[in-house]
Amino acid sequence: MVFTTHIFVFYFLPLFLLVYYGLPMRWRNLWITLASYVFYGWWEPWFVGLMLFTTVMDFAWGKVITRPGATRRQQRWAVTACVVTNLALLGFFKYWMFAAETLNRVLAAVGAETFGVMKVVLPIGISFYTFHSLTYIIDLYRGHATPAKSFSVFSAFVALFPDLVAGPIIRYKTLADQLHERRHTVERFASGVAIFIVGFAKKVLLANPCGLVADAVFGTDTPQPFDAWVGVLSYALQIYFDFCGYSDMAVGLGRMLGFEFPRNFDAPYRSESITDLWRRWHISLSTVLRDYLYIALGGNRKGEGRTYFNLAVVMILGGLWHGAKWNFVLWGAFHGILLAIERWRGKRSLYDALPRPARVGATFLLMLFSWVLFRAENLSAALDYYRAMLGLGDTGVAAPLIAAAIYTPYHALVLAVGTALVFQPVQAHDWAERPVTWGRTAMLTPLFVLSLMGMFTQAFNPFLYFQF
Amino acid sequence: MNRLRDPRWVLILSFLAILFGVPAVQTIREAVEEEGVLAVEAFPRSLSAAGLRTYEHTLESASWAAKASRPWFQLAQFAGLKDGGSKAIVARDGWYFYKPGLLDLVARSAPTVSPAGDTNDPVVAILHFRDQLAARGIRLVIMPVPNKESIYPDRLTARAAHLKGIIAPRTAEFQRRLNDAGVEWIDLFAAFRDARLESGAEVQPPLYLRQDTHWSPRGVALAAQTAARRLRELGWVQPGRVRYGERPAPVQRLGDILQMLQVPDLEQRVPPEAVDCIQIVQRDSGEPFRETSDAEVLLLGDSFLRVFQQDAPGSAGFAAHLARELEQPVQFLVNDGGGSTLVRQELSARPAYLTGKKVVLWEFVERDLGLGREGWKQVPLP
Repeated sequence: MVFTTHIFVFYFLPLFLLVYYGLPMRWRNLWITLASYVFYGWWEPWFVGLMLFTTVMDFAWGKVITRPGATRRQQRWAVTACVVTNLALLGFFKYWMFAAETLNRVLAAVGAETFGVMKVVLPIGISFYTFHSLTYIIDLYRGHATPAKSFSVFSAFVALFPDLVAGPIIRYKTLADQLHERRHTVERFASGVAIFIVGFAKKVLLANPCGLVADAVFGTDTPQPFDAWVGVLSYALQIYFDFCGYSDMAVGLGRMLGFEFPRNFDAPYRSESITDLWRRWHISLSTVLRDYLYIALGGNRKGEGRTYFNLAVVMILGGLWHGAKWNFVLWGAFHGILLAIERWRGKRSLYDALPRPARVGATFLLMLFSWVLFRAENLSAALDYYRAMLGLGDTGVAAPLIAAAIYTPYHALVLAVGTALVFQPVQAHDWAERPVTWGRTAMLTPLFVLSLMGMFTQAFNPFLYFQF
Repeated sequence: MNRLRDPRWVLILSFLAILFGVPAVQTIREAVEEEGVLAVEAFPRSLSAAGLRTYEHTLESASWAAKASRPWFQLAQFAGLKDGGSKAIVARDGWYFYKPGLLDLVARSAPTVSPAGDTNDPVVAILHFRDQLAARGIRLVIMPVPNKESIYPDRLTARAAHLKGIIAPRTAEFQRRLNDAGVEWIDLFAAFRDARLESGAEVQPPLYLRQDTHWSPRGVALAAQTAARRLRELGWVQPGRVRYGERPAPVQRLGDILQMLQVPDLEQRVPPEAVDCIQIVQRDSGEPFRETSDAEVLLLGDSFLRVFQQDAPGSAGFAAHLARELEQPVQFLVNDGGGSTLVRQELSARPAYLTGKKVVLWEFVERDLGLGREGWKQVPLP
């Protein structure tokens, strides 16, 4: 189920809230689990079986790890087995086809016989709930968390629908106490409503229209240079408002249920360097990669060279986490190399000497270049797009006509508002975080109505991060 | 009452009122209308992704809130911000274009054969159809109708003001493959482009309607002349003996692109286009042209065959004009939006249409090369 749909807003959410607040606290986690399974199974009912399998398996591994009398060696075996099993499942569903097709290309290149590739459907959000579940096991092993008191608590954590399919990636230890006991207050609920509405508006009123422009330009056969820049700018705004909007909605829904989720974005396009960017963009993924991968690889404790290597590896794997495509690998490598260079320069960017607006502009420019890899269908399309941006390609005969579809007053308004919002100091999330006043109520309610009207009208409503 | 003095409560209550109010009103309306509660009745009996999508779509389509608010939101976008939504482009000088057609025209070429090996290749489907007709002694001629934006790119955007017609790379490739395969086709691209160039200052009416995806009466007449000339050059039709006349038949037409906007009181906001149709009549009786099943020429096609023929004023479409040019009756089979495959499937289900035919003229619009409904299937004839 998608948050910005009729079925979620007018059927699932009211019914869920009605039952949730009608139940005593001890039943609420069970209700969250059941409702979340409906939410998840709405895409494809059999996906639920896979998530249930992961949940049962990891809960059992957790029991093994925390079994009284378990030796450190036994715990290590258990955590290794659990991580391998989870990653094997993730790898099979997400990377099998990519690996098999790559192998086929290699076989074809050396003249060997290729093999038929079994088609595997990617269960939506598998990367997110696998990471959720893994943080539980690893935190138990590291002694950073205590085991869930019951299966219903753990299953509620894994399945929790607000953050289930597109994050933020929330560690077990962050929610452990809240799963057992949380406060439901008017203030928290109202603040949740405010953040939810802001996220909803970001998605419907900004991300979707920006996506139309981005799709039109990226779909064009060799666009003109200016159009190509407008296209990638639109994509930068789309992916930000899409993902950040989703995260805001997740945080808002969490608060309506009494949870406090960490924020996932902190004005990323105002970053002054790539290092700064990764403190602000998809914060939950960056911190999970740092704490569970970078540190596990040795972090910066094994010398300078190894630090740079670790940074690059973590970012490449982070790229691959987004999807089984060489584009994502290169996108990760691009960021990994830039991070390594900045680390080598003492966490200073190559353009550190410039004034702040220029540093922000330069970082944004680098982001735009990297978004081409992220958005293009394949490497060849990405290369063509870079050529178009740099004016090195022959513009297609029909390409100038795309101007009629993208340069409308509506799109100009959306792009202008979107650009202004991402660069201004007070981010919408911060604005919504503040106490609810009459002024805010007077703005938020019409904003929600307007967003719903937009939702009713739009045929185009993808959530980009679901595919990851 | 104290709660209503607290903005937090007001925000929460407003939010919940919307969340609960919309489905509650929906349920009450459905119960009052005694049609049953859709949220219950439409729920799929077996749980599958497709069933759940259909259920979602059904609820969304029936929603009173969506129906009530959608036109006003679209009106604000259209009237205030010149945005035609997912279907329309509000272009220059009162011209409108079909957005999916434009996006398809400028798109990167997609492979015509899917990796799974399922052919979706127009040329393959055309050859298959030609061979089947040939086995029955019937000849096939193809008539791709240019997209409006291929002929009037300068009306789309000031950036294309110098262009008086374009041939998109995929279309050029399609034409080359037709030639290589020896498929006979009628080149309306050249005919329309030449007509535009000859128009000079363009005092003549355009070849396409301003508010519509379809051609104008002038476009219809030119297409019919071009097709008739080609058929005579090929020697596939003999000179006819039926004399047709013509009479003016002006109509007011609210274009299909405008109707796709779905904004309220559209006709008051954008006046319908005055269209000077030419109706074809039997010279002796004065009766409007009627298709006949004993004709030697069968036309297959999409809505380009329908406009002015089956629509108002009637007997003023391509079929009627072609009949006049050939001086003989024709028969036609039309499937709106189904020029690529559906119309052949319809012919396959009604083979009597082929009885006594010598020529089949198959018309489809250029955008169907990429967007054809049901793709380009090979359809066996019985």
